[in-house]
Amino acid sequence: MSDQEGKSSFDLGKLGEIAGSKRITRRAVVQGAAAAGALAALGPFAAACGSSEPDTSASPSAAAPKKGGHIRSAIGGGTTKDILDPHRTYYDSGSKTVIVWDALMGWDQEHKLVNKLAESYEINADATVHTFRLKPDLTFHDGSPVTADAVVYSYQRILDPEMAALGAGGLTELKPSGIEKIDDLTVSFNLTQPNAVFVEAVAYYANAIVPVGFTTPNGAEGAIGTGPWKPISYDPGLQTEFVANPDYWGEGPYADKLTMIEFADPEPQLNALLSGSVDHLANLATSQVGIVSSTPGLKVLEAKGGGWNPFTMLIDKKPFDDVRVRQAFRLIIDRQQVIDQGKGGFGRVANDMYAPYDPGYPKDLPQRVQDLEQAKSLLKQAGYDNDLSVVLNCTTSTMLDDPDAAQVFSEQLNGAGVKCTVNKVDPDVYWNEGNYRSYPFAMSNWGTSNYLYLTRQVLFPTGPYYETHWKDAEWEKIVLEAFQTSDDAKRNELVSQAETIEYERGGHINYQFGSMLDAYTDKLGGLVPDNFGQSGATYQRYHLFYFV
Amino acid sequence: MSADDWAPATERPIDAGDAGAAEAFNETLGHDLEFSPARRKHRRREWVQLLLDALHYRRTQVGLAMFLFIVAIAAVGPHVAPYSPTEFVVAPYAKPSAIAKLGGDNLGRDVLTRVLYGGRSVLILATIATTVGMILGVSLGLTAGYARTAIDEGIMRLLDVVLAFPSIVLVLLMVSVLGPRPWLIVLIVGVTHAPPLARVVHGVTQDVRQRDFVEAAESLGVSHLKIAFTEILPNITSPLVVEFGLRLTYSIGTIASLSFLGFGMQPPAADWGLMINENRMGLIIQPYAVFVPVMLIAILTIGVNLFSDGIGHALIGLDRDTGSA
Amino acid sequence: MPALLKIILRRVALGLLTLLLVSVLVFAATQAMPGDTASAILGRAATPERLAVLREQLGLNRPIATQYFTWLGGIVRGDPGNSLVGTEEPVMQLLGPRIVNTAALVVAAAFWSFPLSILIGSLSGLFRDRSFDSSVSVGSLALAALPEFVLGLVLILLLAVQVLHVFPAVSMVNPQLSIWSQMHNLWLPAITLGLACVPYIVRMLRGSMIEVLESEYVQMARLKGMRERVVLQRHALPNAIIPLIQVIALNLAWLAGGVVTVEYLFNYPGIGSALVDAVRNRDVPLIQAIVLLIAAVYVFLNLTADILTILISPRLRTGLR
Repeated sequence: MSDQEGKSSFDLGKLGEIAGSKRITRRAVVQGAAAAGALAALGPFAAACGSSEPDTSASPSAAAPKKGGHIRSAIGGGTTKDILDPHRTYYDSGSKTVIVWDALMGWDQEHKLVNKLAESYEINADATVHTFRLKPDLTFHDGSPVTADAVVYSYQRILDPEMAALGAGGLTELKPSGIEKIDDLTVSFNLTQPNAVFVEAVAYYANAIVPVGFTTPNGAEGAIGTGPWKPISYDPGLQTEFVANPDYWGEGPYADKLTMIEFADPEPQLNALLSGSVDHLANLATSQVGIVSSTPGLKVLEAKGGGWNPFTMLIDKKPFDDVRVRQAFRLIIDRQQVIDQGKGGFGRVANDMYAPYDPGYPKDLPQRVQDLEQAKSLLKQAGYDNDLSVVLNCTTSTMLDDPDAAQVFSEQLNGAGVKCTVNKVDPDVYWNEGNYRSYPFAMSNWGTSNYLYLTRQVLFPTGPYYETHWKDAEWEKIVLEAFQTSDDAKRNELVSQAETIEYERGGHINYQFGSMLDAYTDKLGGLVPDNFGQSGATYQRYHLFYFV
Repeated sequence: MSADDWAPATERPIDAGDAGAAEAFNETLGHDLEFSPARRKHRRREWVQLLLDALHYRRTQVGLAMFLFIVAIAAVGPHVAPYSPTEFVVAPYAKPSAIAKLGGDNLGRDVLTRVLYGGRSVLILATIATTVGMILGVSLGLTAGYARTAIDEGIMRLLDVVLAFPSIVLVLLMVSVLGPRPWLIVLIVGVTHAPPLARVVHGVTQDVRQRDFVEAAESLGVSHLKIAFTEILPNITSPLVVEFGLRLTYSIGTIASLSFLGFGMQPPAADWGLMINENRMGLIIQPYAVFVPVMLIAILTIGVNLFSDGIGHALIGLDRDTGSA
Repeated sequence: MPALLKIILRRVALGLLTLLLVSVLVFAATQAMPGDTASAILGRAATPERLAVLREQLGLNRPIATQYFTWLGGIVRGDPGNSLVGTEEPVMQLLGPRIVNTAALVVAAAFWSFPLSILIGSLSGLFRDRSFDSSVSVGSLALAALPEFVLGLVLILLLAVQVLHVFPAVSMVNPQLSIWSQMHNLWLPAITLGLACVPYIVRMLRGSMIEVLESEYVQMARLKGMRERVVLQRHALPNAIIPLIQVIALNLAWLAGGVVTVEYLFNYPGIGSALVDAVRNRDVPLIQAIVLLIAAVYVFLNLTADILTILISPRLRTGLR
């Protein structure tokens, strides 16, 4: 991974400092299998990728950062359809809700499970009862206390089918009747089936805790949460203004005010930074890295995460219903070339699997490389003799998606005798109502997550992102068993097996794990790279930013 | 802006009305048309004479040189290009180097190669579109000018409707429904040339229709169609040559603009208009990928326009030499 | 007077007829095609849900004539339907601010280029065939030849990127504020558009000036011993202005269409870039509305030019005889 650093000569700034000091400071005790497992998972990834300052306030050697100032951040375009409802927004617009609301648990910059509103978490022997205890004295932005009632109300709301909440797909074992208030600060989730990694669902950003009686806000009004920022004005698709929450339970915020300005195109976004209209830019395009690094006063931050941008194939539609075709495509792709030409050289080669930080991720499977001979032979066996024709669908947005990578892969396919044309669609149209799920051959993008939780979203028909129409009896058996296995080692073994099945016959072509890039002025400090792999390199941790 | 306002370079402003246009045309032609085989043969080679005269002017020479330069690049380019236009040779937006003399484009392909391949589509499509427009415009103009009342009015009215659209809007309208296809673009751009051209031809035809030799032919029983194409058409060839040049400039501009907007040539084709759009993001770090195609389009359009204008001047010169009525 | 009124009314009627025909053309091109219109429009983006929504929204299940008149009725009432994309808001709501932005751009472009071109054109005509005239002529030829986006890019190169760094290369219009409080975003696109108009106005003015200077009444005035300046002011200029009206109207009308590539190049949020986005998304109601709007502006401006010309010319001529 570190070979990437030679490619572009930018000032690594904070990243360099932190890489030298892998400090892990104290935080509240986290019980439960997943967390321990996650810690062990870092392994080689953590060693090579710069690890980052954990999200607490215990940094004794650094002087306390200055307070005050107005952070202006340029982010990629949301749509005018967005709403400030934490249960219902997508990741890019989620970048606003994640700073206003908190879930009970969360992930830190190294993708380790951490407590957010929860002080502790217990799981019973057969993983059917998960109990969370809130931290005492937490308040919402309006001063009202955060109690078990709020937790119950939030989860009831999430499970309400009319909400079409994003997190509902990952909470299939939880029924409204299973949400039990134990006392003012404690809630138990009684599951209909064992789920050893239920805590990951609880940590999903869209399963945030809202006050009792919360309804979809009208603009910024009624957007009451527990997060570090309080919205004061909201113009979907344009900009949102926040003020700091002085009673935030975590570290910071140091600045007083935050404005997030949305851009649909990368050039005006960069221009805003270059002209000084904004202080921070989330999700810098790789072609713009050179400009930023050669401009005095500006810096680039790279976060090497587990985010992935796969090509998706519908395994129940021609030609991908034949596993040989899927395997052929995975052998045609020249992964490093797509990274070099389509992602500006940023990213690490991947092996058609995902969830790299999951302890069960099978690291030992041979890395696939391009093998055109084998690919052509497979296609011939499947009945295609240089007469296969496909359309690769992706969006037009270079900010949020990868049309360039699509173009490069398309070239490679054409070079291998598969006729491929790229069809670019407006992002609104593409993602709207899951249009992209109806394309036999398309692209998708994901942040970092662990395996089992992701399968709920992606690989089960009930998931909102059922993008490959995956159906495999052997795999299902293994995965369902894994959900019920409390023993970490056993479960990791099952995850390995499941991933291996996907490695052999899945519908994803995953060629890389991506880097996220942010740009910012040197007047800002406190930026730490985050492995989440979406919404920029810092995953909107504005509460840590300060003006030097 | 339609090229009809940019008219053959006469000293008098051509007003939008047909009579004015017809008059102006007649004055540029410089003499009455007579039914005489000997004179006709002489006139048929008039446009050749016109071209030769035009080349005496500096602007025609410069224009022709510019135009030929671009045609040479388009024709010879693909044979001398160092790579294939879709091959990846360097990092995206790489600066010029020994490997890629003009640097890399947005995907790391060779800018020089793509520039050498990128002129053909514009030139070919624009030429076809202009030809289509000329054929359509002249036919319509002749027909309208030759027929009487109903068809005449009807055609002109219809043309007015088409004229009511800035042409690029009309193309976009069609593309929105049928998708970007080269044949469609050629057809629509050609169609947008027709009205102003038809107007002008219509005016002249109406005027010429009344002349002796035409009436003579009619009394002889020669069909209208034959008269239109054998008597009238040859006498307006010279101004039509000028028109062709002007409309070619305009076709090139429109087609390049369409590719720039993303509705013309599609990726991964190498096309100057498309290249300009694809590489805009890297403008600040790798300007060659945008500005080489920009300069080439500029040279092409300016060259064609200068050349046409030169011919236009020669036409007036001819007018002066042969003496106006 | 009644005769004049009749002529004007006739022109207006013709203009309306043209608009009607345009509406038929727009409607036919987008909604009245043979075969399954909905799939043709959606193309690869077609999913059963979207097809159904589109058919419903455009009323494609009803007979063509009904569709047309319903649609036309809506247009006349100022309601061209809802956008098919994103929030599916009413088209007029989407277009409102965009129209303002484009109007501001067009006015800005006309504001600097028209007077300047008129001046240059008149001077060219006055000092005909001298070196000023020749250089203006060649310059005009070059300017007229260039497609607007090429012109815009050359300006970007000179003024925003390589040579000087005066202007922002793309516009960053903040929709919260009115366009007038962020004028710096108008400069480059306005200069580009204005420059594109210059050659035509210069040419027209030059020709007109020459014609007028050679006209009888100016010769007469000179013979009478009037000073040159008075000749110019009292006789030449007023008459040179008549074709000017036509040129201004034509150029303004052209600008309405010419904004398409310029707005797209500069990321300027006007109706031009809205049209490009709408075409990309096959957002039929929005496309229809914008195209009709541009056509209406065109027809209206041509009409105004015609009427003004009719009104002004006879009066001037009688005045001078």
